[in-house]
Parts: sequence; structure tokens; C-alpha cells
Amino acid sequence: MLKKFGLVGALVGIVLSAGFGVSVKADAIEDGSRQFIQVMADQAIQSLRADGLAQAERVKRFRVLFNDNFAVKSIGKFVLGRYWRKANDDEKKEYLSLFEDLMVISYVDRFGSYAGNALKLKNARTENKTTVTVFSEIKRPGGAKPIHIDWRVGTNGTIYKVLDVVVEGASMSSTMRSDFGSIIRQKNGKVSGLIDELKKKNRSLQAEMQNQ
Amino acid sequence: MELKNRILSFNWLVLLMGIFMLASGCANLPDPADPEAVAVYMQVNDPIEPTNRSVFALNNNLDKAILKPVAEAYSDSIPNAARLGIHNALNNLRTPVILLNDVLQGNLNRSLMTFMRFVINSTVGMFGLVDAASELGMARHIEDFGQTLAVWGVPSGSYLMLLFFGPSNPRDAAGLVVDFLTDPINIWTSHAEQLEISLGRDGAHAINKRALNLELLNEVEKSSLDFYAAIRSLYKQRRGNEISNGIVNTLLQTSGLTNYPGLQELDDEELSRRK
Repeated sequence: MLKKFGLVGALVGIVLSAGFGVSVKADAIEDGSRQFIQVMADQAIQSLRADGLAQAERVKRFRVLFNDNFAVKSIGKFVLGRYWRKANDDEKKEYLSLFEDLMVISYVDRFGSYAGNALKLKNARTENKTTVTVFSEIKRPGGAKPIHIDWRVGTNGTIYKVLDVVVEGASMSSTMRSDFGSIIRQKNGKVSGLIDELKKKNRSLQAEMQNQ
Repeated sequence: MELKNRILSFNWLVLLMGIFMLASGCANLPDPADPEAVAVYMQVNDPIEPTNRSVFALNNNLDKAILKPVAEAYSDSIPNAARLGIHNALNNLRTPVILLNDVLQGNLNRSLMTFMRFVINSTVGMFGLVDAASELGMARHIEDFGQTLAVWGVPSGSYLMLLFFGPSNPRDAAGLVVDFLTDPINIWTSHAEQLEISLGRDGAHAINKRALNLELLNEVEKSSLDFYAAIRSLYKQRRGNEISNGIVNTLLQTSGLTNYPGLQELDDEELSRRK
């Protein structure tokens, strides 16, 4: 029932927006967003999957790719949620830097394999004036259904940045927000407690990487 | 019959344990004077968190000792094509329960599709080994009684970590029991007093599922600070996605970052640098 209504609603929306010429503009950022994701995936294949690349170099390249294509600070701020306001300037700065490190070290492999497994872009949908969702899927070896990955892209028409990655219906930024929030609650609401945990985590990931 | 009763009482035992846990250990209550803290507490919806965490730790130990090594061995030693066949066949055996719940949810299109999938895959697909229906554009979907209850408007209740079965809530736990009782294979094997067939299938299903999630769960454990909290969030989001048949996840409102504050705030510096 809901589905039917959604379809009718979408059709009405399309007709209306076509009538008022809104669709032209929406199409532009949709195309732009799809192209942006495609270019990022191609870059990832080229730079992360090069033969004989040392892990340290791979991490370095991924950091550049990640900062170029993701709204890193905005995501970091979102993930901290209501505690962002409670943190002082030094804590904010240190947290954002540790957040970036955690993302880079823990996602370098996953991102390489997502992008490398022939990311198949599907349709895109305009959410509002500055946000587009690009739908995609990747095939998994060993059978099973392909994994659905939605890329939430923020744009001002010229610059595009990934805001969130939704894997099979689970938003990565929401998951991290719950994760970090739980840590801060355990540390009596102190952001400094989270910062200590982030440092520990990054150190152990770094050590693990060097042992590989 | 005796074995059947034993298994049934086992399922009820799990459920009863869940209810018992509801009455035991409770999480720290938020400061009622802080509305944001109260809102987070309601949203997390995990009043028996300490108990859930202990069960989660126990499940994790069992997983690391038994299920994970078995799934890894299975994944490493059986060729992709064979695993795909097993996966498809197990899915095919599950179709009657999916069909029942498609019907109970009043979804005619999906009921027909599930029925057609069963007919095609059981014949052309060689007893389900090949998912021929997917090739014909009839992609697989899953349904279970927990989802049906949700569609009927039954609230989930609070988060509940089940022993062996993992993340759940009272509604989905009740769904598990109903799925077990309504599965034609379980009904048939209990009448034929051959419940080991059902148990064998459930074991194979568990190994197959764990093998498919090896990489993902490793990544979540690796990147999270609080594995328990990350899994709790993932479970709720995935479940919401399944219940809405994949519609919710695509809606902007339910996602994390809903607009790009960076365009005005944080990343201003960078934006002006790039212009």
C-alpha cells in the first residue's frame, strides 16, 4: 500500500517538477554526483590496487583520496553528535585528527576492495538542493546477493563530497555515532575519555598493520 | 516426537530467558533534567544493557571458539561455485516461510514472486542449487514472522541479546519461534521423527551465514571502539531496512548526516582555498 502510494507520489512529483522546470537542475547535480562517485572509484582502483604497493604507501594514498572526496570534518562532527558542543577547541581539533586517522587506517582495505570489485553505479536521486543519493552495488565472490551501497553526496553544484556511506541499509556515520556515544557515556560524558580510547585504538591498529 | 518437544522447549527457554533478563540488570538511567540524554536513552532502547553485554560476550567467545573457525575453514576449503550452490539450496528450502510471511503481510506481488521462485529454482534450478529465478529478474528477498509482526504494527520492545541467536528484541524473538513452528521442513521432520535433518539444515545455515559475514564482522570489530554498541546500531538499522523491504534505508531522514553543514561551516576554509 505504502509502496503504491510512493510510486504515485513519485510520478506526481516528476510531472510537477517537469512542469516547473526543476528537474533540469536536479538532473545536473544527479549526473554530477554519479560522475563524482565513478571518478572516485576509478581513482581508488588506480592508486590503491597498484602492484607491489607497500601498506604504508597505500595508507598515505588513501588519506589523500579520503580527504579529497569525503566531508571528513563534517562527518566527524556529526559522529560526535551532541558532545561536539561540550568539547573545547583543543579537544575538537585533536578529536578530528584522530577521527581521520581511524577512518584512514581501518577503511583502507575495505575501500580498496569495494572500489576494486567493479562498483556498479545505478540510479541517483536528488534529496534536496544540496544532497544526492547515488545507488550502487558490488558483486561478492563466493555467491550471495550483491551488496547495496548508497553514497550520500553533498554538493554546492561545483564541489562534491561524500557525506555518508549506507551499506545494506546501515549508515556508517550513524553506526559510528552510536559507537562513540556509548564510549563517551561510559566515560561520564567526557570527550577526553573518547580521545584516550581513539588514541589506544589507532595505536593498536597501527601495530597490527606493521605486523602484517 | 520426544526430540521435537525438546527442541520446542529449547526455543521457549530462550524466550523465557529473554523475559527473565528484562527483569534483571538495568542500565544506568539518564539524568531526567537533561532532555538530550533522555532522548538518546530512549533511542538506544537498551534498558538491560549490562545483561545484554554479558550475553554478547558469551556469544562472542562461542563464535571465536567454534562458529568462526568452522566458517573460515568452510570458506577456505570449499570452492566458490560449490558454496554458491549450497547457499542457493539453503535459501530455496527457506522459501515456504518467506511465502507465508509475504501472504501474511498482504503483499501479493512478493507472494507471487516467491512462489514462482520456488517453482523455478526447484525444477530448472536443480533442487535449488542454481538461483535461476534471479537470472530471470526475480530477485530473492527475505521475510520472517518478526517482520510480519512489525508490518502489523507490533512494537519491537527493547533490545535483547539472545544466547546463540544474537541481536534481537522480544518481537523478533517471538518471530523466531513462529518461523521454526511454521517451517514445513521442521513439521515434516518432526512427524517423520527425523529432526536431525532440521538440525543439520540449521547448522549448515548458520555456517553459510557466518561465512558470508566474515569480512564484514571483522571490519566492524576492527573499526569500532565499542563493538557491542556498533552491532546494536547495525542490527536496528538492518532490521528497519528489511521490514520496510529496503525502502527506509534509501530515505534521507533515516540516514546519518542529512545535509552538508560543511558547505557553510567546518570546511569553509577548504572551500575558499579551492575556488
